[in-house]
Amino acid sequence: MKAGDTESSVAFERYHVNVGEAPWKTRLPKKFRVRIYNNCVNIQECVQACVYNVHRVSEEGKLSEPVEELCRGCHRCTLSCPKGAICVELNPEFQRLGDSYFTPERIENIFFEAETGRIPVSGAGYGGVFAGRGFDGFWFDFSEIVRPTRDGIHGREHISTMVDLGSKPCMLVFRDSRLVSEPPRLVEIPVPMVLDAPLSSSSDRNLSLALAKAVSMLGTFSIIKAEDYFDDLSPYGFNLMPRVNPDRVIEFPWLIESSRIVELDYKEEMPAEEEIKANLRHVRKLNPSAIVCARFSNLNGAVENAEIAVKAGVEVIHIHVDDSIVKHNPDAIVSTIRKVHSHLVEKHMRNEVSIISSGGVAEAAHVPKSIILGADAVAVGLAYQIALGCKVCYSDKHQEDCPMRIEDTDVSLASQRIVNLISSWRDQLLEVLGGMGLREVRRLRGELGRAIFYRELEEKVFGDSE
Amino acid sequence: MMQSKLVFKKPEVKPALSKQSYFIDKYDVILDRAKCTACGICAQTCPEYIGSASIEYEAFKKPEGVLRITNMSNHCLSLDCQRCVEVCPTGALTVRINPQYLILGDRRWTADLILSTWEQAETGKPSGRYEFRIGDSGGGFDRIRFDFELKEEVNLNEAFETEDLDTSIVLNKRRDRRPEIIIPIPVYGADMSFGSISLRVMIARAIAAKAWGTFTSTGEGGYPKELMPFKDNVITQVATGHFGVSAETIKRARIVCLKYAQGAKPGLGGHLLADKVTPEVAEIREVVPNISLFSPFPFHNVYSVEDHYRHVQLIKDVNPKALVSVKVSTPIDVDMVAIGSYYAGANILQIDGGFGGTGAAPDIAKKNIAMPVEYAIPIVHNYLVREGVRDEIVLMASGGIRTAFDVAKIIALGADGAVIGTSELVALGCKRCGNCERGRGCPSGIATTDPALNLLIEPEWGAQRIINMYYSWKKQLDYILSKLGLKSIRELRPEGVVKFKSGQFNHLVHLDHVGDSFERV
Repeated sequence: MKAGDTESSVAFERYHVNVGEAPWKTRLPKKFRVRIYNNCVNIQECVQACVYNVHRVSEEGKLSEPVEELCRGCHRCTLSCPKGAICVELNPEFQRLGDSYFTPERIENIFFEAETGRIPVSGAGYGGVFAGRGFDGFWFDFSEIVRPTRDGIHGREHISTMVDLGSKPCMLVFRDSRLVSEPPRLVEIPVPMVLDAPLSSSSDRNLSLALAKAVSMLGTFSIIKAEDYFDDLSPYGFNLMPRVNPDRVIEFPWLIESSRIVELDYKEEMPAEEEIKANLRHVRKLNPSAIVCARFSNLNGAVENAEIAVKAGVEVIHIHVDDSIVKHNPDAIVSTIRKVHSHLVEKHMRNEVSIISSGGVAEAAHVPKSIILGADAVAVGLAYQIALGCKVCYSDKHQEDCPMRIEDTDVSLASQRIVNLISSWRDQLLEVLGGMGLREVRRLRGELGRAIFYRELEEKVFGDSE
Repeated sequence: MMQSKLVFKKPEVKPALSKQSYFIDKYDVILDRAKCTACGICAQTCPEYIGSASIEYEAFKKPEGVLRITNMSNHCLSLDCQRCVEVCPTGALTVRINPQYLILGDRRWTADLILSTWEQAETGKPSGRYEFRIGDSGGGFDRIRFDFELKEEVNLNEAFETEDLDTSIVLNKRRDRRPEIIIPIPVYGADMSFGSISLRVMIARAIAAKAWGTFTSTGEGGYPKELMPFKDNVITQVATGHFGVSAETIKRARIVCLKYAQGAKPGLGGHLLADKVTPEVAEIREVVPNISLFSPFPFHNVYSVEDHYRHVQLIKDVNPKALVSVKVSTPIDVDMVAIGSYYAGANILQIDGGFGGTGAAPDIAKKNIAMPVEYAIPIVHNYLVREGVRDEIVLMASGGIRTAFDVAKIIALGADGAVIGTSELVALGCKRCGNCERGRGCPSGIATTDPALNLLIEPEWGAQRIINMYYSWKKQLDYILSKLGLKSIRELRPEGVVKFKSGQFNHLVHLDHVGDSFERV
């Protein structure tokens, strides 16, 4: 490149997300309830004792109602009261949040992340169950002494979280010393996360707008059902991934022409190879450069479905397991990603396709965990909806009383919350990658050797076999 | 191998009662004042004299309302008892599970474990009212029992009358002309820095360590001069931030700990958030106050086993008499790390499991990185045995060891001893509320540097509580050894490889792996 020829040069820009405080209009129910029994003789030891300013004295010198929102459950007021008048309990309303999978604690963390964009940090060691199923069934490995770790979070080393979506040819073909194979068509996203379309189809337009805004700030994609598209979204077209029923491709020509990735929704089952090929031809006729993603959710036939899709020429597969299924069978998503990935590796097909996985992604750790099992990227679904007040009803019908209603004025706030959430998850991904000594997230894909599986260890140490 | 004997006088148990005015008990009796006639029948009926409090409250002449009438001096025995409820002529009483008991602790450190540790700290003995051996995490220690536990109930009176057996361990087995330090109990205190905990707590731990002839550690946060009188019982740590580390502090210590990783946040280095970096903390760490401190990770002078060797030798050169302890966490190849540390010349290898304590760590790291110590110890032990070097290095386990039974179990799984952090803090009154990192720090005055809050812990009182807890642990270890027919804790550690068969090995039973034919009582 000649000096002064700057037109084609691209300045290096470090990926940066602007996070900002984004308190939501609805608050989570307070975690603790502080009850003062009639034993109280107004000696106000609790006022002295509480470091969070829950207990206060009113102007008349009496103990006023405790400010329960500030309580952090440290038990100190209870223990300081000589009359034993104070009882701190878990607020039943808080306990009722979410369900057995999207637990109140997970929802609390998602809210914190969406509000602040920060990483949840706390004191004291881990206090939960020893190990569990699904994503809880394995731990990350990390670096020690050798294999130096990377400091990605405090800014001393750059760790890339960029991934490519699309098909990477395993070889280039030359004829008469000319490249004849097509150059790979890849789309780069700076974070290995895309936003899945909301469950309910007739969801409000402001939610779609908020999603579109958020992904254009993040530089990634938001999946949107083609029939939900409306004109206000056109400025964000670069970051939208329309989800189309394969038989209705020709109904949305303008949308497919303007999209970089098109997702064909095969729902339960992939059809025969020929039919997929026909669908692909329809898409490519409208937009020859579009990358085609095939989404399916058949668990039992996931391996076969994936293989058919790759053979037909699909460049991205999106394996989806419903959150409501993961709730009852947390292993479903874990084993599906693992099986599909290793099958495609065995068939030497893995690089011809990128895998997006979705379902059961409830906390930051689930992103690197999905990737370590073999996904390239993760579609975040319920989690961002929870950040906007979703009550986890798993219904695909929009409920009349759904609290996740976004008014016109809330759009930018909602998008900021989504940006905060994804940014916080990315930072936590950086922590994990740094701990493992990896410089980029692409190296993590399918690195099962860097996962420590609970079942395997249990058998190795306490089982009969050697 | 020659068995080194130790002449040692156990410290005495002295009551170190809680300074709290109230207690969190399992059950709670509620009285509806509107119905109560203060007849006192309930107090006469109750074996624990619970209702007496209701008569006491008569003095206040409260017109109505609901009172809690359990107080510090009496414990409601059981939900099944209900005698007071039955005899009350006006139906004014309700017995319930104390809602506050339900929010105390977590699955690893259950409310029972916290309450029983408090009891042991106060009186040197668990009352038996609360489970004092295991938590409720559903795996690891919580699913492992000693075989005698499954055959009979633990008789606490019998346990505490057991004669003293040898629970001492040697901390240097290398025969490298460095001192052969013996500690009379197979535990020493974990690394906790000034800044993460208060100076008064450090002193309390040091007094207790001295009384028990064992050690405590400065962690990575400098060596406060107040610890000088205890220097023979203080381990100093060299970690990646080198906060307050100097040749002087290394020369002062009998054991120097090189911290490579911490179980709660392996691969991430230390965190001390800005709120807790007070001028005193900043001075000893040689940093600016009120900024968050992050120890970098890893040691950037140690990228290979050869570097590691040089690193250990550097410490050994600075202090020719010190033992070097290497603290590592539990990656998948922890056995390789262990053998590397052996060849690097470490005297002690401390394996810090993934469930270890921390003053502040990202939640994602605490839950998801590194394996629990219950797996790591047998894996490392077996590897060292097969390499033929097991008897030259001391293997200490840490990260999730909560009770005397945990200590015994991890020794039976291949460790020589254990390093104890959280339990000592619980003895001082920690409730595992997890608020150590924010604002003024710990509301109980333990993990804090706040000038007012840290006054809550008096060093002598705190020391006595830790002494009492270890006394109770020592008696429980004696009891376990006598039940197993062993004379010394060193016999509990397996000689050969750890190999479970039908879920059983070395008096241990893993409940998830025993066959159906296994007899349970």
